[in-house]
Amino acid sequence: MLQCLTLVTHNTASPNLVKLIPLVSIMLLMLSAFMMPLLKKKRHLFGLAGGALAILMVLSFVNVAYIYQNGGYYFDIGHFPAPFGISLRIGEIESLIALLFAIVDLMVTWYAYYSLEKEIKESRIAFFHTMNLLLLASLLGIVFTNDIFNGFVFLEVSTLAACGIIVVKDKKTNIKAGLKYLILSSLGSGLVLMGIAFIYSLSGHLSMDYIHEAMIANLDGKQNTILISVILFTVGLGIKGAMFPLHIWLPDAHASAPSPSSAILSALVIKAPVIFLIKVFYRVYGTQIIHETVILDLVLMFGVMGMIFGSLFARSQKELKRMIAYSSVAQMGYIFFAIGLGNTLGVVMAIYHIVAHALTKSSLFLAAGSFIEQTGFKHIEDFRGIGKEMPVTLGIFTVSGLSMIGIPVLPGFISKWNLAMASIQIDKLYLLIFLLISSLLNASYYFPIIINGYFGEENLDGKVFLSKSKPIKQLLPLIILTVLMVLVGFFSGNLIEFIERGVYTV
Amino acid sequence: MEKLGMILPLLVPIIGTLFIVNKRLISDKNLTKVVAVTVIINFVCVVYSLFFNDLTAVHILKVNAFLDIYFKVDQLTRVFSLLASSLWVLTAFYAFAYMDHEKRHRQFYTFFTLTLAVIMGVAYSGNLFTLYGYYELLTLCTLPLVIHPGTAEALQSGKKYIIYSFGGATLVVLGMMMLYAVTGDMSFMAHGIVDLSLIEGNRDLLKWSYLAMFLGFGVKAALVPFHSWLPNAMVAPTPVSALLHAVAVVKSGVFSLIRMTYFIFGTQTVLALDVTKYLMPFVVVTIVMGSLLALHQDHLKRRLAYSTISQLGYILLGILMLTPNGLLGAMLHLINHAVIKITLFFVVGAITHMTHFKYIHQIRGIGKQMPITMICFTVAAISLVGIPPTNGFVSKWFLGLGALNIGNFLYIIILLLSAFFTAGYLLPISVTSFFVSSKSEFHERDGYQAHYETLHEMSDDSVRETTREMANDMIHEVAHEATHEATHETAHETANDTIHEMANDTAHDTAHNTLRNETVAARHSEDGEAGATGAKPIKLEPPKGMLYPIVLLTVIIVGLGIFPNTIINFLGVVIQDAF
Repeated sequence: MLQCLTLVTHNTASPNLVKLIPLVSIMLLMLSAFMMPLLKKKRHLFGLAGGALAILMVLSFVNVAYIYQNGGYYFDIGHFPAPFGISLRIGEIESLIALLFAIVDLMVTWYAYYSLEKEIKESRIAFFHTMNLLLLASLLGIVFTNDIFNGFVFLEVSTLAACGIIVVKDKKTNIKAGLKYLILSSLGSGLVLMGIAFIYSLSGHLSMDYIHEAMIANLDGKQNTILISVILFTVGLGIKGAMFPLHIWLPDAHASAPSPSSAILSALVIKAPVIFLIKVFYRVYGTQIIHETVILDLVLMFGVMGMIFGSLFARSQKELKRMIAYSSVAQMGYIFFAIGLGNTLGVVMAIYHIVAHALTKSSLFLAAGSFIEQTGFKHIEDFRGIGKEMPVTLGIFTVSGLSMIGIPVLPGFISKWNLAMASIQIDKLYLLIFLLISSLLNASYYFPIIINGYFGEENLDGKVFLSKSKPIKQLLPLIILTVLMVLVGFFSGNLIEFIERGVYTV
Repeated sequence: MEKLGMILPLLVPIIGTLFIVNKRLISDKNLTKVVAVTVIINFVCVVYSLFFNDLTAVHILKVNAFLDIYFKVDQLTRVFSLLASSLWVLTAFYAFAYMDHEKRHRQFYTFFTLTLAVIMGVAYSGNLFTLYGYYELLTLCTLPLVIHPGTAEALQSGKKYIIYSFGGATLVVLGMMMLYAVTGDMSFMAHGIVDLSLIEGNRDLLKWSYLAMFLGFGVKAALVPFHSWLPNAMVAPTPVSALLHAVAVVKSGVFSLIRMTYFIFGTQTVLALDVTKYLMPFVVVTIVMGSLLALHQDHLKRRLAYSTISQLGYILLGILMLTPNGLLGAMLHLINHAVIKITLFFVVGAITHMTHFKYIHQIRGIGKQMPITMICFTVAAISLVGIPPTNGFVSKWFLGLGALNIGNFLYIIILLLSAFFTAGYLLPISVTSFFVSSKSEFHERDGYQAHYETLHEMSDDSVRETTREMANDMIHEVAHEATHEATHETAHETANDTIHEMANDTAHDTAHNTLRNETVAARHSEDGEAGATGAKPIKLEPPKGMLYPIVLLTVIIVGLGIFPNTIINFLGVVIQDAF
């Protein structure tokens, strides 16, 4: 039951510098986060944040390149080997997700440089960056960690930091949304902690590999305990990952936060717990145990419900950002659907969709943020004819929307296609219907915005061409995200292959 | 180089579009010239890549067996791309004349040329994945053309169009998913890729796959429960309607169906799956219902739209017969119907362009004013009914042969019945225009005059105001166009039409009368006494840009009817690929 990693034994004689990258990334982010309050000027703040993120991006890229060549590795923090010390496990998936997070966060910070002070007070900018970097550090921690308790700690940090970037706007609705998020998230973390307690009492370990071995060794008669613990994990992480009936905090939080925060929340914050959940399923419990429980079927069911109801709710929204937020619920439904399928392709597609959705949704939120910033409107009705005033931005919105709808070669289509293949593999043909209904529903709320934005005599009446367009340097982060998204679609074959190499044994 | 030569037809329209979009590079004056150059170069490139290029297959991007953008040239590609690119040239020249009075030329021509690129993509696709991709793009590129008038009604129709199209595309994906799960391959091959041995154990999956894809592509081919987007799409400018009906949208649906049936599944497999029995009822209903609904449409374009639905049913019937003769008939009808329908639409567009008439009851006696145009219409109508020596007869003949080959007399009866209906809805248009006098309306005018005062009081002020404004504008336009020739009669007719456009429902009657009187008064004052007598027919033939394509197409209709052998031989290769 060993992992498909090339396990590199500890070699103190010639420490491999690349293996320091995960720890260095987290430390770098935390250090810069705590240096933020010392700085005053906006340029310095953004310089530090951008610099740290740029370094992080380069490091993550090196890491991915190294892992592409040599395979994954373990890293023991402080040279204490695993059962006693904390270890990080970095495989193909972890490194890829780290790179994704770094890129998205860097682009969001770039975007925020031009627009953040329009949404929040200038004195709050330092606070925003502190929280943002801290958040990213904790999310990377969740992704990298091989120690389940360590994961919990990072989870708590991420909750607080995410709460910080929601309330940074100092509005009543933000405080309300922040509190809602805080309460529900703490509930989720509490459940995760209980799950850890159950597992610890079963196995006596906190390190994922050791728990797994111990559980396999004495499985008999403990099915109920296992079931309870796995449900605790699923519900706890499901709250943080916006699994359908537990998503209620998400629309408020995502819609009320400043646009850069919304992008980070949608692209990163709800993704890391899902990675953690996948790790818990397949690295802590393992395929054998997890397939004996009903949990995968439940996740599948909630995923399907999320896909359908998330879109139905999105349809009925009047505010643009709330609509996009509900669309996130639907897209998380796809990810849970993929996990719930329970075969290798399913898990691979869950990771792929995490990558695809992070890029798509962040550019959607930033595009929506630009509309709101330039026009001052919030409601979908008011964005008629926006395509004449801001053609490029609506173009970006359109490409992202088309990906959600599932136009071929864009990542949304690739996800749907492979999910369908995975469903056929396990002989659940009826699932195809849900996949397709959900993509039609996606079309039903993205298309009206696009069509009314670009066309229609009444809509375009009185609008001046390019009158509200942003300069190119402000649009560039959106364009880069969109280009990356399209590339993720075009090179989906290579990407899926890479993920497949590192996927936890299913 | 050969690679480039082959995919040139896919690139040329895109390059043209890039020029057209650019305001700085191409001024409004040169817009049409660029469009003309683009479509003509494209036609040349199509001919070059189809007949003078050795390379017939090229992978643009091959990531794995599934994600594979692949173009291939075979006989079916040749048929469809030649048809599309040549009709595009004609439509372009027609559109230059027609679009004079429309707005937003640049937007129109942008999507007009872009759609050509997409259609070429559909024709050149070498596997189902590429075809599907272009099929989705087709919806997206034609949508701006359909909603080009920009009115609320147009947007509504566009919405309907996109809902139906995406619904259909979704069914297609469903079918593709099931197909790919069985075969792991989606490229088009002669005789199909689904081996008979694959059926064992996958019968249900393949069956559902075929049904889903047929119904999915059937949406674009206006199969009956999914047809209602087509009449609604008539809000588009006429060149667009003509293209939508002749090649662009509905024919790409039919083309995809031929690809799927004969080049993915293969005749033997479809026969073994025994799926046609579920689909035939749809097709038969399509044929009969389309023509029955066409019978009572007063709106000219809508009548033609329902006629298209019925005629597409013929083609689908031919495809589903699964016999060489049936397929030959279907392919012939694909071409013939394209040529015929585009002619009919061009004529209707010419009428609307010259007189602003849109309804059949308005065109009484117009044959005297537009004799050449209406004669072309009549020839096309006769051809669609299927009377020799026109091309419509040839395709129906082969469809009938196909039905005989499978020994099904019901189909022959349906073909004949529908031909009867076709005559019933098309010929009255010719008859009305040539033989029904337009004078009956004149006698009513005195009556109108008498009631003018009372009606004036009753009419809704705001409606009258707007209508009057519109009418005056229109009159001035017409007055400019036909300075000396235009007499009393034209002005009268124009106003009549304006009313139909502007004034609806309750306001209709009052505004109608008010306007008529005012128009009469206006004409009297402008022309002095000259307007009082107006019995002589006036020549209203459309400008050359519109007339020449119509005449050329009519010649083609008759030509294809008299010398069908060339085209049958050309299609023979497709039949060999399929059987």
